[in-house]
Amino acid sequence: MPLSAAELSRYHRHLSLPELGRDGQERLKNARVIVIGAGGLGSPAALYLAAAGVGTLGLVDFDRVELSNLQRQVLFDTAAIGRAKAEAARERLLALNPEISVVVHKLTLDAGNVLDVLRGYDVVLDGTDRLTTRYLVNDACVLLGKPLVSAAIHRFEGHAMTYLPGRGPCYRCLFPEAEEGVVASCAEAGVLGVLPGVLGTIQATEAIKIITGIGEPLVGRLATYDALELRFAEFPFTRRADCAVCGEHPTITAPLRTVASCDTADLSSVHRLTPSALRDRLASDGSRAALVLIDVRDPQEFDTCHLEGARNIPVAELARRVGELPDGCTPVFLCRSGRRSLTACALAIRAGIGAPAHLEGGLLAWASEVDPTFEVARG
Amino acid sequence: MSCTVRIPSPLRSYTAGAATIAADGGTVEEVLASLERRFSGIRFRMIDEQSRIRPHIRLYINTGEVTALSQPVLAGDIVHVICALSGG
Repeated sequence: MPLSAAELSRYHRHLSLPELGRDGQERLKNARVIVIGAGGLGSPAALYLAAAGVGTLGLVDFDRVELSNLQRQVLFDTAAIGRAKAEAARERLLALNPEISVVVHKLTLDAGNVLDVLRGYDVVLDGTDRLTTRYLVNDACVLLGKPLVSAAIHRFEGHAMTYLPGRGPCYRCLFPEAEEGVVASCAEAGVLGVLPGVLGTIQATEAIKIITGIGEPLVGRLATYDALELRFAEFPFTRRADCAVCGEHPTITAPLRTVASCDTADLSSVHRLTPSALRDRLASDGSRAALVLIDVRDPQEFDTCHLEGARNIPVAELARRVGELPDGCTPVFLCRSGRRSLTACALAIRAGIGAPAHLEGGLLAWASEVDPTFEVARG
Repeated sequence: MSCTVRIPSPLRSYTAGAATIAADGGTVEEVLASLERRFSGIRFRMIDEQSRIRPHIRLYINTGEVTALSQPVLAGDIVHVICALSGG
């Protein structure tokens, strides 16, 4: 669709760039970009993409605006407190540029809807603050063949990378998986308000480059930014042949259903037992009686070998079987590496169990440090 | 052999907030052991029980990715620890 007279005026500075020009501006107008999360990263990204004239902007967010958001989420003003973010953002973006369309997705992305939501867009920007969503979006982009610009922040530090189908590695090639609870959230660790402004603007820049075909995308390079030292750096990374989603023999062929998102804030009350600490507690009659060992691995793993007295409740079943945990005892969740057991802790806390415990490093650590005869089945 | 280790934001709680640490060692393993002696527990956040780099961590010597902890580190090198971030 050609540019109107008003648009020719609005985008004059773009049109003056020979690299972009009228053709590039028309590409932007005809483009559909979705921004996952109208938060710190999504705010500047969406504002700049709207200002740049991206014809259709999708926004995914189910939260409401809170006072503590306003330190960095520049899409919103004080009057928006309490409103649905997606709706307030839509109004702000249309006020900035009424020439565009803004599509609101007031939902939580999950394995059941992610493909349908992303399918209608040309470029995906990930600004989520949940690791499970970060991997879900990456996997969906690989499966759908959609370009993805991913960014993340923590305190004074930020990362950004771009995935282009067939052109380079994906987010899982960079970090095959992130152990829940190990990577702290901004809610717990804090974040400098202007930090997402830098990273979100990088995301918008990448989206514009991808749409218009100019420049060199941030593919196969992780860009890092340290605000305290005002230091940018980049680190190369390549596609992994064994990547679970974009590798030679992918094991992820559909979006993964995760049992729970377990952010760090959920886990502050978890007792993290080292193998030797657990051994000592089990050896003491008084301590042993106060513990119940819950092995959250799959049954076939449990059958291979398990700790004496442990009960098997696979983590995928824990939410509906949490009532089986005996009252008055501290559940100690066990798994192969300590990852599923942290997820189990998050589920238990949400079910009202105040201070669950888990075996740090899992049964692999147990076998390494306490009992070398313990045979840990592959997960 | 002295090098510099750049600590990622999520691990600076171990280093009293310091972003860079001088460390000794002729290999990555030795450099990490040097760090561990000063900042107990930091190695476990990067390396698992099987001595593998954790999947949410990447190590670089200057701009070259570390694929084995036996890789040599030269005087003046910068060992970068990159940790997945989750905030948005």
